[in-house]
Parts: sequence; structure tokens; C-alpha cells
Amino acid sequence: MLDGEPLVRWHWLGDHLGYLADLTADHAVIALVPVLLALLLAVPLGLACARFPRLYQPLAAVFNVVYALPSLAVFVVLIPYTGLATRQTVMVPLTCYALAVLLPTAVDGLRAVPEPVRQAATAMGYGPWRRLAAVELPASVPYLIGGLRVAAVSSISLAAVGALVGRGGLGYLFVDGFQRTFPTPILAGIVLVALLALATDLLLVAARRVLAPWERGAAR
Amino acid sequence: MIRFEGAAKRHPDGTVAVRGLDLEVPAGRTTVLVGPSGCGKTTILRMVNRMVEPTAGRVLLDGTDVAELPAAGLRRGIGYVIQQAGLFPHRRVIDNVATVPRLLGWDRKRARARAAELLELVGLPPETARRYPAQLSGGQQQRVGVARALAADPPVLLMDEPFSAVDPLVRAGLQEELLRLQAELGKTVLFVTHDIEEAVRLGDRVVVLREHGEIAQLADPHTLLTAPADAGVAAFLGRDRGLRGLGLRPAGSVPVAALDGRIAYEGWQLVLDPDGRPEHWLRGAERHPAPVFVPSRDSLRSALDAALLAPSGHAVAVDAEGRAVGTASRAAVVEALAATGPVGAPLPEQVPHAGR
Repeated sequence: MLDGEPLVRWHWLGDHLGYLADLTADHAVIALVPVLLALLLAVPLGLACARFPRLYQPLAAVFNVVYALPSLAVFVVLIPYTGLATRQTVMVPLTCYALAVLLPTAVDGLRAVPEPVRQAATAMGYGPWRRLAAVELPASVPYLIGGLRVAAVSSISLAAVGALVGRGGLGYLFVDGFQRTFPTPILAGIVLVALLALATDLLLVAARRVLAPWERGAAR
Repeated sequence: MIRFEGAAKRHPDGTVAVRGLDLEVPAGRTTVLVGPSGCGKTTILRMVNRMVEPTAGRVLLDGTDVAELPAAGLRRGIGYVIQQAGLFPHRRVIDNVATVPRLLGWDRKRARARAAELLELVGLPPETARRYPAQLSGGQQQRVGVARALAADPPVLLMDEPFSAVDPLVRAGLQEELLRLQAELGKTVLFVTHDIEEAVRLGDRVVVLREHGEIAQLADPHTLLTAPADAGVAAFLGRDRGLRGLGLRPAGSVPVAALDGRIAYEGWQLVLDPDGRPEHWLRGAERHPAPVFVPSRDSLRSALDAALLAPSGHAVAVDAEGRAVGTASRAAVVEALAATGPVGAPLPEQVPHAGR
């Protein structure tokens, strides 16, 4: 940083409140819509894997490989297809990353239902699909939300990298700050990314209390 | 009625779980399958609701081969209780119990009303209805499991070691409860256990199995205890068979001496409370509990036990409300024992060829 440049110029923050709010909202959309999409894909894929266990290994392998790819490289590779500086350039890979986290949690959650519970359901006359939908899936909600917490926070952090290919919500503050050697937006970006992640996580914890009330009961 | 006709189960790897079972399970009675682990008893049970498909032979339910019935529909008409209760963790107790009625298409209100009746029937307080299974004790969960199995009033109840995961005291309570329920409902119960004590206690008929689902003996509990078919069954039954057999004989035959005025034997005086319930035996400053038995309900074993424990040597006979009606000396109990005829039978020379 330049000598004489303070770490934070408070008046800059004051002048740019609206701008920072827009970037935060943009960041939330870019980071979290892919998580929701991944959830919508992970549930049916997870159910299919639980019903036909042979599907799971190949699918898990594919998403693990995707997860291993450096995010920046993926963003760049996708530019010819989705265009530079479009939301899709960032959101497509983020969806894949979230799916790489959510698919195993969905499958593990469905499998974690105790065997006696599964047998009782079968013995009472649930067919295989109906049992998955009515017993295993709802019973695995705590697992799914656990996976969502990991996926959401990592997606919020990864989305910032998207700024390097033109879209990245709060990530733009880092690019801007480095280019101008102006630390205030960088710090603002770090704090806002952290706050967004924290808020999302708290929301998911609250969702878990509402959607899986039996877990609270068990702790009593 | 359930009928097994040469029902066999061979696993794909060639191991034989059940070699070929012929068995009739009479309607309205409790039939217990008992045997060591790996004898195929659970496999046999699951053939009834098609959770296991026989590889040979067939299973008939009221004359119809179960293989011809759609599995889901068949299962909704058969109650099933398993060891760990297998309650749905995400559903409240009331909705767990309402499961099968809901599957049968009842509306929620009616299904819940029925579930509430069932909870009462199995002796659970109404406030348990709103709880989740994890908030209940093991014994309570098992009661919910029984209520859930009975919810749609199925004529047949399959029970797979339902009480083996709870502690002995709770287990005894659950067994008592099942006997009471069964006296009231008269279901066709097929009950699996590895605990011979439980089998003898609950079964109208007990099927002792050895490996591959072969029947070693099929008998009523008393015959089983007093006349085991062979040395293997005798060994499985364990010690004190004669004494345990007394537990199956009613105490009604014990001659009871009516109470008249002060009751005293060898200086021991029976002290009653104002309602006429025995409080204790008193001799000088010494006080001892007064063991009792209910002639109309308890077994000869209970009567003998009470007489043995009483310091006066006299068991106190009480009515259902606990009021003393008379006393029975040890000699009187033994007299009743002698009148029950032979308690044992000699072992047969040769092991009979049981099963197939």
C-alpha cells in the first residue's frame, strides 16, 4: 500500500453505501442462486443414487473432478460459451461446485436413515420410491441443510473470484482496490463477503430449526 | 390363518436360510417362533408379508398364496413390529401411528383420531402424541411401534423380537401389555424371539426351531416345558423347567382357608389396613412383608413363591382389589401341585424326526 494512504477512508464508504449494497445483492444472487439450483439437482440425483446405488460412484467421480478444477480456469474456459462478464460465466461453475458438495450429502443423508426405520416403512406398505420421498428424504433434511451450509459459504467465497472474468459482485471491490492501490474497497469487500456468509449461515441454521423440529426435540 | 407349505429360502450364494417349512399359524392365537440366532425365524416371519420371497413352496394367508397379492397392499393389511421400533424420526408420535391409515387413504383427521385411540390402547398418555420418537424412552417407543402396527386393525400381526432391545423390567411390562391386548383383540400373532422365557410367556403355541428353520418341537408352553421332544430342546429350554412350568398353571386350585377374625400362625399375626388389604405379618416387635397372590389370575408358581417368602409360611390370597380373602399354607400349595399330575415326561429314546 502507498505510504500515507490510510487503511480505511470512512468517507468513501459513506459516499458509496448504495453502490456497496448493490454489489452485495449482486454477489448474493451470483453465489446463492447456483446453490439453490444445485439443491434442485442434488435431490432427484440423490434419490436416484439411493434407489440405484450403481449410479452414485460415477456421478460422484464426475463432480469430484469438477470440484478439483481451479475455479478461475473454469471461468476462463467457459467464456467462449457464456460470454465475458455475464452472470452465467460464474454461475454455471458455481452450480457444479455446489453440486459436488450437495450430491454426496444428499446420498449420505438418505443412507443415514436407520435400517429399522427403512424396514418398518417397507413393512407398512411403502413402495421404494414412495418410501424415499415420504420417509428417507424428510428424515435427511438435517443432512441436506448441513451440506447447504458448506456449499453456500464456499460459493460466496468462490463468487468473488468471478470478478476476474468481469462479474463477481463484491469481488469487483478487490479488483478495483488492487488496480488503484486503494485498500478501502478491499477491506469493505472482505467484511461484506464475511457478513454475507455469516448471514446466510444463520439463515440456514434457522431453516434447520424450522424444517427439522425433531432434532431439537432429540437434544432435550 | 397363515399356512406355510414347504416354504424355503435359499440365498443366491447357495446358503440355505429355511430348508422347507410346513406350519399352520391358527387365527386369533399367538404363535411364537423361537430358536437360536441364524435359525431362520426372521426369514420365516418375513415370508408372510413378502419382505422375503420363498425360493420354493408357498405361504398362504387365509387360503390365498401371498405371492399373488400386490406387496404394498398385502403389507398394509398386516401389522409389523420390529426390534428397534423403527419409528419415523421426523414424524410426531401421532403421525407415526397414523401411517398405515393414511396410506390406506383415510383423511388426516380420521387417521389421527384413530391413532389417538391406539395410543390410549397401548397405555401411552395423550401428551406423547405431539412428541417426536427421540423424545421417548425405549419402552415407550416400542409401545408406539405396537400402536402403529395395530392402527389399521389388521387381522395379522408380525412381531420380530419387538421387546429384546429394552431392559428386563420394561420388557416384562410390555409382555404383560401384549397379553392384555391380545386377550382383548384376538389377533393372529406370529411372534419371533430368541428368548425362550418370552416364548413360553406369550405363546399359545411355541415353535422351537433349529438350523434352517426346521421345527424341533411345536407345542403349547406347558407341554414344551414338561415334555421337551429331545435333548436339544431340553437344553434350549434350560434349567428349572418343572418350576417354570408351574408359572403356566393357574393358582385357582390352591385351597384357601377363609379369614376369620384374627389370623395368626406360629405367633405371626396378619395385620390388615382399614380396607382389608394385608399390610404385614407381626410377631412382637418384628414386622415382615406379607406376600400375596391372586388365585384367579396368578400362577401356582406365584402362590408357592408367596408361601415360601411369608414368615408365617402362609401366602395371603387377595382379590383383584388387593383385599385379603384367605390364606394358603405351604402344605396347601404343595397339595395343589401334587394334584396337577406329572410335571415331567421321560425323554424319548430317539430324537423324533421333526419338521420335514
